[in-house]
Amino acid sequence: MIRRRTGLFMAGLLTGAMTLFGATAADAQEKKLKIGVIYDLSGPLAGGGSELHYLGSKIIIDHFIKQGGVEGYKIEAVYADAQSKPDVAINEAVRLVEQEKVDMLLGMFSSAQCVPVAARIDQYKKYLWMTTCISSAVLKDRHFRLAFRPQPSGQQFGEMSVNFINANSKEKFGKDPKDLRVVIIHEDGAYGVDVASGNELAAKKAGLNVVMKEGYAATAPDLSSLVTKIKRARPDVILHTGYNPDITLLLRQARELGLRFQALIGHGAGYGVYSKLKESLGNDVNYFFNVDPISIWLANPAALKPELLPVIKMVGEEYDRAKPDTKIRSAHVGMAASNTYLFMNEILPRAIKQYGGVDGEALRKATLDVDIAQGGTMLGFGAKFEPEAAVMAGQNTRGAPVIVQYVNDEAKVVWPQALAQQPAVLPLPSSSPYAVK
Amino acid sequence: MSEIFDIYLVEALINGVLLGGVLALLALGLNLIFGVIDVVWICYAELIMLGMYSMYYLYSVYHLPFVVAAIISIGGVGVLGVILHVVVIQPLLTAAPINQLLATGGVLAFLQSAATIGFGIDFKNLGIRLPVLEVSEMFISYSRLLAFLVALAGMVALFLFLSRTYVGTAIRAIAQDRQVMPLMGVDSRRIYMITSAVGGSLAGLAACLLVLQYDVHPFIGLTFGPITFMICVMGGLGNMIGGFIAAFLFAEIISVGGLYLDLEWGYVFAFCFFIAMMFIRPQGLLARRS
Repeated sequence: MIRRRTGLFMAGLLTGAMTLFGATAADAQEKKLKIGVIYDLSGPLAGGGSELHYLGSKIIIDHFIKQGGVEGYKIEAVYADAQSKPDVAINEAVRLVEQEKVDMLLGMFSSAQCVPVAARIDQYKKYLWMTTCISSAVLKDRHFRLAFRPQPSGQQFGEMSVNFINANSKEKFGKDPKDLRVVIIHEDGAYGVDVASGNELAAKKAGLNVVMKEGYAATAPDLSSLVTKIKRARPDVILHTGYNPDITLLLRQARELGLRFQALIGHGAGYGVYSKLKESLGNDVNYFFNVDPISIWLANPAALKPELLPVIKMVGEEYDRAKPDTKIRSAHVGMAASNTYLFMNEILPRAIKQYGGVDGEALRKATLDVDIAQGGTMLGFGAKFEPEAAVMAGQNTRGAPVIVQYVNDEAKVVWPQALAQQPAVLPLPSSSPYAVK
Repeated sequence: MSEIFDIYLVEALINGVLLGGVLALLALGLNLIFGVIDVVWICYAELIMLGMYSMYYLYSVYHLPFVVAAIISIGGVGVLGVILHVVVIQPLLTAAPINQLLATGGVLAFLQSAATIGFGIDFKNLGIRLPVLEVSEMFISYSRLLAFLVALAGMVALFLFLSRTYVGTAIRAIAQDRQVMPLMGVDSRRIYMITSAVGGSLAGLAACLLVLQYDVHPFIGLTFGPITFMICVMGGLGNMIGGFIAAFLFAEIISVGGLYLDLEWGYVFAFCFFIAMMFIRPQGLLARRS
């Protein structure tokens, strides 16, 4: 009897030990970083560029999953669709944190989503890596501890286009900057408002003549009265920030109502999806400019770290495989890929090796340690993040956009001068239906 | 000339008239259906979206001539209207109005999601760029002019159909008294089907014209749906002439308001006007005082 009881006790002990050991071993094997990824896969923003960002991030995440993870941690991604709605983005972010138990969040295309989601996720003390949205309102004076953004800010986008026209004012437009008539129009969300404010501040500083500045709802069914008003302002240059399809609606109605100008500069989002612009506007899109981080396929390979080149090639191949009909590879895919790669390749290994894990604090410390010189990311810029006390806490201080011009189905960098691949065609040639006759 | 009057104001007024034509066309079918069947198709703009996709595939992918593609699309959306009636509306004809609204709201969500899965999220475009009419420094869009003229023609054709044909007379009779007319030998089921087919076809017609001006994507209905309902309500749900006038009033307020103030103020004024009219004439612009 005693022997039987002892036997049962030993068996129980053994089972318990095995369970415990097994669990520990499984834990050791199951070291994992679970990433919640949010982009718009439906709704108007999906086709306006968000789905391309999703593709860019996914290519990189899949690349690291295939490699077996990072520093012993397996990578698992849970994808969520924000449906082009800020409220859905918030709900999905909360669901990913509370139900899916993700360790961190990554993504988001629209600034209108980033602003509320960053505040909500801060309450959960989870790490947030924003690959895309650019509005300064996301970070300015918010002092988030765990929210970071490698992208340049909307203000920088706005300043870049103004600096470009200011520098070309005399030579290309034949006018003093104070005589150059500039119209600023923008969608009225956080993104458009921030870029337009960057435009306006820089224009005032440069002494340009801003004759009109106006916002509009990106979902407005008609923009003809806005076009009439722009005509009345007789602009030399139009600085436009919008998503799609509002961009194509505006430009189509501009053509129909005989709007003329000497240059149009878009600021990312819908202007970054050339194939859609071309499909909707045909050759009318020729000679338009776009401000965005450089396309990773346009960046000068000699100026980049050599180990990035095979990654750029891999991203391009995967992009072509996913979207075989693409005419010009959109900068959007490269942006998300580069920013996701920066996290997976620089921040994550550092957090695991130096700070012992993948919790928010370890990731935060690793992010603040990052100090990458120009040429250290696929987008050509470097990375150094503002600390919590800074006005723009979490912002990459080394991010910078460039200006490309679309000419005959090719996108070429024309500004800043140091990165220019060809001189800008200014003003609009007479072949353009928008050219001043 | 521009010293005597503001040429841009004239252009804005013309833009308002042309936008009014687009909105009137959208409201026409919805008003017909509500006037006869007494059910609001919340998903009406989504039927237009399907019509626009039909145009895209028939014209751009299968390279049918525009007119042939338009005829097929109009007929196709008409058939969809009948299917919607048979599958969703007919079983709910005697249900509470809120149930009918929820059902057609469900169809709206279903159609948006189905279009996302079936057609993808990319914006599609016919790639047709119609010429522009230039009159004394003013520019008029042919595509909008076309929509305006078709809206006018559609209105007249519908009026003639309802007033000069036997079926039209039966439709008007049913609209006046849904309970009594079946007792007098009118086949209400058949009349409802015909009305749904005509209402659907008008959505198809609107789709053929809108696809010349807008990109099509699964959520294009959100751009037009709310404003179309407001116009129908302001004109008096079911009152086609009231809807027609409301469309032009609404469009002019947006257009002229947007010219002198920010564009968004144009919409604010239009919505304020709508709210004010709901207090002053809750039954619609042309409703008779009881």
